[in-house]
Amino acid sequence: MEKKSVWKKITSSRETSLVIVLLVLVALISIKNPSFLGMQNILEILKNNSVIMIMALGMLCVLLIGGIDISITSSLAFAGMTVGMLFKNGVIHSTLLGFVIAMAIGAVCGLVTGLIIAKGNVTPIIATMGFMYIYRGFAYLVANSQWAGADALGDFKNFALESYLGLGFLNNVLFIVLICYIVFFVILKWTKFGRNIYAVGSNAEAAQISGINVARVKLSVYTMMGFLAGLCGALAVTIYASAQPNMQQGKEMDVIAACVIGGVSMNGGRGSVGGALLGALILSVIAKALPLVGIDALAQNTVKGFIIIVVIVLNVVTQRMMDKSNLERREM
Amino acid sequence: MAGKSGRTIEATPQDVWKKRIFSWEGMLVVLFLFINIFCRCISPNYTVANVLREMPKYLSEIFLLLPMAYILMLGEIDISVGSTVCLAATVACMATNANVPFVGVILITILTGAVCGMVNGFILLKFPELPSMIVTLGTQIVFRGIAEIMLGSGGSVSVTNTAGFRALSGEIGPFPYVFFLVLICGAIFVVLSVKTTFGRSLYAIGSNSRTSFYSGIKVGKIRFLVFTLMGTFAGIAALFLTSELYGANTTTGNGFEMDAIAMAVFGGISTAGGKGKMIGGLISAFIIVCLRIGLGQINMNPQVVLIILGALLICAVLIPNISAGLGLKKRKKI
Repeated sequence: MEKKSVWKKITSSRETSLVIVLLVLVALISIKNPSFLGMQNILEILKNNSVIMIMALGMLCVLLIGGIDISITSSLAFAGMTVGMLFKNGVIHSTLLGFVIAMAIGAVCGLVTGLIIAKGNVTPIIATMGFMYIYRGFAYLVANSQWAGADALGDFKNFALESYLGLGFLNNVLFIVLICYIVFFVILKWTKFGRNIYAVGSNAEAAQISGINVARVKLSVYTMMGFLAGLCGALAVTIYASAQPNMQQGKEMDVIAACVIGGVSMNGGRGSVGGALLGALILSVIAKALPLVGIDALAQNTVKGFIIIVVIVLNVVTQRMMDKSNLERREM
Repeated sequence: MAGKSGRTIEATPQDVWKKRIFSWEGMLVVLFLFINIFCRCISPNYTVANVLREMPKYLSEIFLLLPMAYILMLGEIDISVGSTVCLAATVACMATNANVPFVGVILITILTGAVCGMVNGFILLKFPELPSMIVTLGTQIVFRGIAEIMLGSGGSVSVTNTAGFRALSGEIGPFPYVFFLVLICGAIFVVLSVKTTFGRSLYAIGSNSRTSFYSGIKVGKIRFLVFTLMGTFAGIAALFLTSELYGANTTTGNGFEMDAIAMAVFGGISTAGGKGKMIGGLISAFIIVCLRIGLGQINMNPQVVLIILGALLICAVLIPNISAGLGLKKRKKI
């Protein structure tokens, strides 16, 4: 009995279907183009999408509490641009300091957003839309019509090429991604804070009454999101070896799409770290695979958008079927 | 904690709420005058003639505001309009270059927009469980993607035969055509929202769609209709945008959806649905347009203008919330 329920749990879970989708995708692509499954290629895909993958974690928490944050790529650009200009003007030279500054800027951006949302009771979409303009404006102001290229970044750009954090086996960037995923998995699965996030998302009023400080949970979640955006700002600068004020513009939609494909509910309370990871992976595999299977680069966005729509519609259809079969069982 | 249940339809008389709504539109009018005086002070070129000449550049976004306000009243959101504008503008340019008569160009462009809106509406009609944010996020990528395919590797197209579009951007006296069209459409939208059953049902659905459904309002049909309307107006906006730019590229209409939403929210229309007045949205649209023209005339950095607009948007929502919070505390003490 026990065993059966575990087996059922696995087969009926959303993550399983996502894994199957991912495997089918990878299989199809590697039949068409065997070079796709090379270790080098896979690591490259992961590295290039690490920014989306990390921010999907923060977005997961934001969506879990029933919010949304579309200002993330703006605070990313603000943090990344600041670090880039600091390196360019020779103010800082240490890679670590660069990361700390970027993360601090991101966290402050997130804190301000969180304060407006949690204490000012402003709808998340409106507040973050405002900050999307504001932080992007800050990035342009910091840049002052300049940009930081590879020669200006010095040692900082080598961070993404080396692997000292991963003890020589794993690229630094991927190591950071791994750490982030482990930390968030633990937080959401086994800590009180993680439980509180789910509680607030499922029913904020009930959570408030049962003694959870809803405002504080919201504030911490948005601050966390900002922190990750700052981290990704520094990562984006080192991965692409350049800092421009318009960097990653519009990618917030990709992050949200990754979460939604991964089964995170927009109404809050439902979603998991595994889902977010799989969603981000599916998106990045699709993006990489389209040119490999011979689809014109121009058509990539169309296909991507189409896939997003198909996935969410399939989601609803399976949900309806599940509800129906549940109902039938009850009637019997 | 005022959740979904705490909302009130305007028709039920509730003094505090009515007063606040009334004062919000009143405040907007005062702000509109203030902004104009402010712009006149900072820029010597801020005259009626100059403002009217520069206005068409910004007016196409007001076409998006009108149906967007309806969508927000329904408690939905549409972030695909910027892409719809891009696709429709691309179609307009290509049709003109293919020597289609100009009337045909107008029809094709508006039709393109309407079809885009219908796609959104259709998905939401068939799968009402889906949040509109996600559906339109998907279609946003698809519509712009189709425009990208049409534009090809160059990524841009410009109109070779500009005669038709030039006629479209003509003027009667000092007033450009588009100005009148905006006012007429605005008036129609205001009347529709206040005086008709359709308008009432918008508010009803926004307040509580389930209750409206059970009280006999065709929720799905109205939602479909409003999203189609949104697409149609995106087509119209694309026409006038093209008559300003004489071309289209892959970034045309980028961020228009956000501007339209910002105008509506600044006008007091809540994204939660069921609240706000169309007229407020219109006034706030003109406030933002005038502010942009004024700040543009003194050559202010466009990024700083964006910062100001973002801050205004947040304050517009934050201030009523804070004052409401203070009022609540006071009442509790008594």
